[in-house]
Amino acid sequence: MPIGGCDDARLRTGGHLSETLAKEDQPVATLGAALGRNGRELPHQGEACMSLSTSYRRGLIAAGSFAFLIAAAGPIAAQPGFSPMDKSNPAASKQDGNLKPHPTPPIAPSADKLPLDKIKLPSGFKAELWSSGHPGGRTMVMGDKGTMFMGTRVIGRVYAVTEKGGKREAKVLLQGLTQPNGLAFKDGSLYVFAINKVYRYDKIEDNLDKAPEPVELTANYNLPDTVHHNWKYVAIGPDGKMYVQVGSNCNICEINPGVHGQIRRYNLDGTGMEIVARGIRNTVGFDWHPVTKELWFTDNGRDWAGNAGPEDELNRIPKNMEGGNFGFPYCHAMGTPDPDVKRPNPCAGVIMPAALTGPHSAGLGIKFYTGDMFPKQYKNVAFIARHGSWNREQKYGYDVVMAKVAGGKATIAPFLQGLLNTEKNEFYGRPSYVFQMKDGSMLVSDETNGAVYRISYGEKK
Amino acid sequence: MIDIVVNWRRPLAFVLAAAFVCASQFHAGDALAQSGALAEKIQLCSACHGEDGNSKLEKIPSLAGQPAFYTLNQLFLMREGVRKVEAMAPIVKDLKDDDLTNLSQHFAALAPKRSDEAVDAALAKKGAEIATQRRCSSCHLPSLAGQEQMPRLARQRIDYLVETLKSYRDSPRPGADTAMSAAIAGATDADLTALAHYAASL
Repeated sequence: MPIGGCDDARLRTGGHLSETLAKEDQPVATLGAALGRNGRELPHQGEACMSLSTSYRRGLIAAGSFAFLIAAAGPIAAQPGFSPMDKSNPAASKQDGNLKPHPTPPIAPSADKLPLDKIKLPSGFKAELWSSGHPGGRTMVMGDKGTMFMGTRVIGRVYAVTEKGGKREAKVLLQGLTQPNGLAFKDGSLYVFAINKVYRYDKIEDNLDKAPEPVELTANYNLPDTVHHNWKYVAIGPDGKMYVQVGSNCNICEINPGVHGQIRRYNLDGTGMEIVARGIRNTVGFDWHPVTKELWFTDNGRDWAGNAGPEDELNRIPKNMEGGNFGFPYCHAMGTPDPDVKRPNPCAGVIMPAALTGPHSAGLGIKFYTGDMFPKQYKNVAFIARHGSWNREQKYGYDVVMAKVAGGKATIAPFLQGLLNTEKNEFYGRPSYVFQMKDGSMLVSDETNGAVYRISYGEKK
Repeated sequence: MIDIVVNWRRPLAFVLAAAFVCASQFHAGDALAQSGALAEKIQLCSACHGEDGNSKLEKIPSLAGQPAFYTLNQLFLMREGVRKVEAMAPIVKDLKDDDLTNLSQHFAALAPKRSDEAVDAALAKKGAEIATQRRCSSCHLPSLAGQEQMPRLARQRIDYLVETLKSYRDSPRPGADTAMSAAIAGATDADLTALAHYAASL
């Protein structure tokens, strides 16, 4: 396995995806110039290649003998990541070594055991139960005929929530998928992105009793074969393209920026891939600003670098800076160098966040509010569901916050609260995604409770 | 469903044969479907996983002392077809949510014992070092007793652990946090064997 030179396989990904690495002190300005077409690899720029190799070598030295192990293990050697070995150092973080991710119950509590009465909202707003009994339900997209589709992670299901005789009913539409978190709906078709699998179910709303055989688009999308941080978030942009998350395949490691830590966009059939942002640890939510049409995305900060952070990010891709670098793994938050993966000038050329969204808070879904139901100061405010921390001794998040945008920056303010008891250090629910209904009300999914809450304004209690 | 990841990609004929043999003694899934009694369901599990939840059969995992959440999760995922284990499919297919909960709690309460496989002390020592490097304890606890969705590794069968670790590394086994595939990335077969001996020795 060549590790020193530039002309090696590390920058290729199965002959499909390629990217010329940007000079480190400036983000890639244009996509057309940076990307090869149809798998043709463009020559690398010398400087960028050198500095990348340098940091890569340092990584290897730090990893010591692991380089040999990596080369020796067949399947991993073929993987395109720069260093699959996680470099986090929990001992140095001085955090409680027993912190670990919270499990999602595969069995949801009954409707009367949901934490609805704990939810607190600003005056005039009201929360009510919209649907329940869909364990692990997270992402939400709505079909043209009003079916709400919900994606999940570990549980492997896609739900269809329909209304019958005034009652809402959740049924398992698909099951046995590997973390089908990414959903999109267009022209009667449901797009389902599981880990490294892409399917399109045509005329789905006419076939809710038995999902039709899907059209498989996996080969076209040609996503990397690593699984960590690769449960998908996807959304169709104002340009009609499919925007797809490709997470970093570790907590903290040297990723190959040509492969991991990106947002990409494709034609809906999976052709015409372009990288629209890179240097992202893991975004699992994005939306477009209603006025500027810029893409805003949440990004979850690394773990095992202390209870205080680095804080999660709310980012935007400024106009004419598509393809730009958001800093991972070298630079976090508002310019915090990584303690475990180091290089000179780690933040040079990095696009700084529009706002920080709190330590380990796990901002997932984001939605700019464009409805008429909420008071007008909420117009174009972004609502962000914060799933809540695991890698933090004092729990944090478990809420929905607002991001008020001004001049490309944002300020964060609380909105939906009450699901975290700071005194007892326990939580009652995990907001995951937000969805705006046609009537202007807003839905919030709670993955832990397998429920969706409807937030309205000005309606009778 | 199409998205089937065969996590026992090289299912050993022996495992399946053994499992089917033990399962057939109790008429496999039929027995479960027709019987409401928890005791009968437990008896069916015990045929392969051991009377006291400690397996004596090659590559069949011990369930004794597993965190209830872990067992519940795995039973659920096998029932749904996310995690494919052929021998288990007919057994779990008709289990109700309550059955999953009750079975999980039953096995969680049993005492884990070492299997009769020989633990190599040198390998176990090497495994302990690798476990430190790879920070196994940050999820599985320093005792490797597991917690919630993370399985107990301590006193688990060596042959089962080696097989499972390989399936995480080579064809990422679904139904677990994907962090596991990152945690094990780049490990050699020798590393995995050492880890298994270490866990079994505890």
